[in-house]
Amino acid sequence: MVDVAVIGVGQTRYGMFPERTLKDLFHEAAINALNDVDKGLDPQDVEEAFIGTLSTGGAQLGNFAPLMMEAAGMIGASARHIENACASSGFAMRDAVAAIASGRTNIAVAGGIEKMSDLPREKNRLWLGISGDVEWERLAGTNFAGIYAMMARRHMHEFGTEKKHITMAAVKNRNNALANPKAQFRAALEFDRAMKAPNLASPLTFSDACGITDGASMVILCRADMAKNFTDQPVLVVGSGGASDYVAIHDRPSMTTLEGTKRAAKQAYSMAGITADDIDFAEVHDCFAIAELLAYEDLGFCEKGDAGKYIESGATARDGKRPVNNSGGLIAKGHPIGSTGTGQICEVVNQLRGRADTAERQLQNVGYGLTQNVGGSGAAVAVHVLKAVE
Amino acid sequence: MTSYVSLPMYGANIDERMRLIAGKCKSCGQLAYPQRPVCTKCGGDQFDDTPLSGNGTLYTYSVVAGNGAPSEFDDEQTMTGDVLCGVVELKEGPRVMVRLADVDPEQLHIGMKLRAVIRRLYDQEGFLRYGTKFEPVGS
Repeated sequence: MVDVAVIGVGQTRYGMFPERTLKDLFHEAAINALNDVDKGLDPQDVEEAFIGTLSTGGAQLGNFAPLMMEAAGMIGASARHIENACASSGFAMRDAVAAIASGRTNIAVAGGIEKMSDLPREKNRLWLGISGDVEWERLAGTNFAGIYAMMARRHMHEFGTEKKHITMAAVKNRNNALANPKAQFRAALEFDRAMKAPNLASPLTFSDACGITDGASMVILCRADMAKNFTDQPVLVVGSGGASDYVAIHDRPSMTTLEGTKRAAKQAYSMAGITADDIDFAEVHDCFAIAELLAYEDLGFCEKGDAGKYIESGATARDGKRPVNNSGGLIAKGHPIGSTGTGQICEVVNQLRGRADTAERQLQNVGYGLTQNVGGSGAAVAVHVLKAVE
Repeated sequence: MTSYVSLPMYGANIDERMRLIAGKCKSCGQLAYPQRPVCTKCGGDQFDDTPLSGNGTLYTYSVVAGNGAPSEFDDEQTMTGDVLCGVVELKEGPRVMVRLADVDPEQLHIGMKLRAVIRRLYDQEGFLRYGTKFEPVGS
């Protein structure tokens, strides 16, 4: 297999931008990524593109990727739409890595985009509710908040996890986002106030959830042996894993484990020749705060059932041993569905290159960074491990 | 707003849904409910229809706050506020996500005994949609 490197990343600010178009947002992500390739790259040299999206309420279902490549000024590349719900661009990243690793392609891009502000609220609810096992989960009247809430309740029941542990993840991430100029929610959240937030889907409250977000991101990759032509600071993709699981949580043997995360992480660690202990920092899929706690366990950062104690120890804080969601995560940085996976890669690459947008949130002495991107309630999971070139 | 559970899709498994018909694997006897094309235990793909008792216990649950449920439930939510959802573990073993009926949110607890009842879900496309909900035993 050919080694693969990231040579440039770009992301728009995440937020609500009703005045902007899909094309405009994607163009900005592409320009930011191209400008991040230090020695320059001719956009026409991009050979393949993998674009993740849930298609913005169906506004553009067909030929999504060619349209976005047009907006990016990368006309002619072999481009396709990748869809795995909220893990769409995590899998776009995985496919871009595979295209280069196979030797087929020299330069590829992985990107993602969503524009959720274009949809009326009721259509957002309609659209967001069709990534589960529709015939059963939807007819039971639940939304994704309810599904994650049921997982949270089982975790509390089986392991004694408390609501405060769940909310600690939300509070940490909201406060991390204060230093991230690209984050959607940049207002401090106090723990006591968060604990009193109104019910969303019990035991989860509004403080424990991500919002509705617009945004786009792009990652430019090439053969590692070509990377020095483009930058003196390439970042190697040393591990890539992907897996799926039963879509409905009622069909899974356990509701407190995402087997997809475990499988994908095992592949990524094995490919990188490392273990969970080697991961210095991570961006994980905290669509609801309980998901971050499940990720700690399923990625091997702590023992099964210990996620509550682990977050309480401060290990995953910005100044902890292994910072998690230093960007603010989905809860605060934002969760424009299709953009989230490649947005996580942007964050990890910037950190590994020492290019965090503010000094306050630049992590020091980090070697390996991990991303975990989840589709639905765990039906599809992509995990990547990246490493700076010495 | 139209539902993504279309009338034909709803009709295709109506016996399974309303009469709680599980599939019993002809090779290993494992029950599949909801039914599935391939047995998760042995990989077999031949099943016998097997009715379930409709009795079970609450495995997990959530009170989904007003206007959070899918939009086809809007009429009901306007009238009732929250939607109570849970996963029931049926006496015969399988688990399934269900609506909970005739129970106050404060009464809900993991392990409580439930039984199946036929209730209205919503009306759409000119048809009333009925489905199976679960209520506490004794209510």
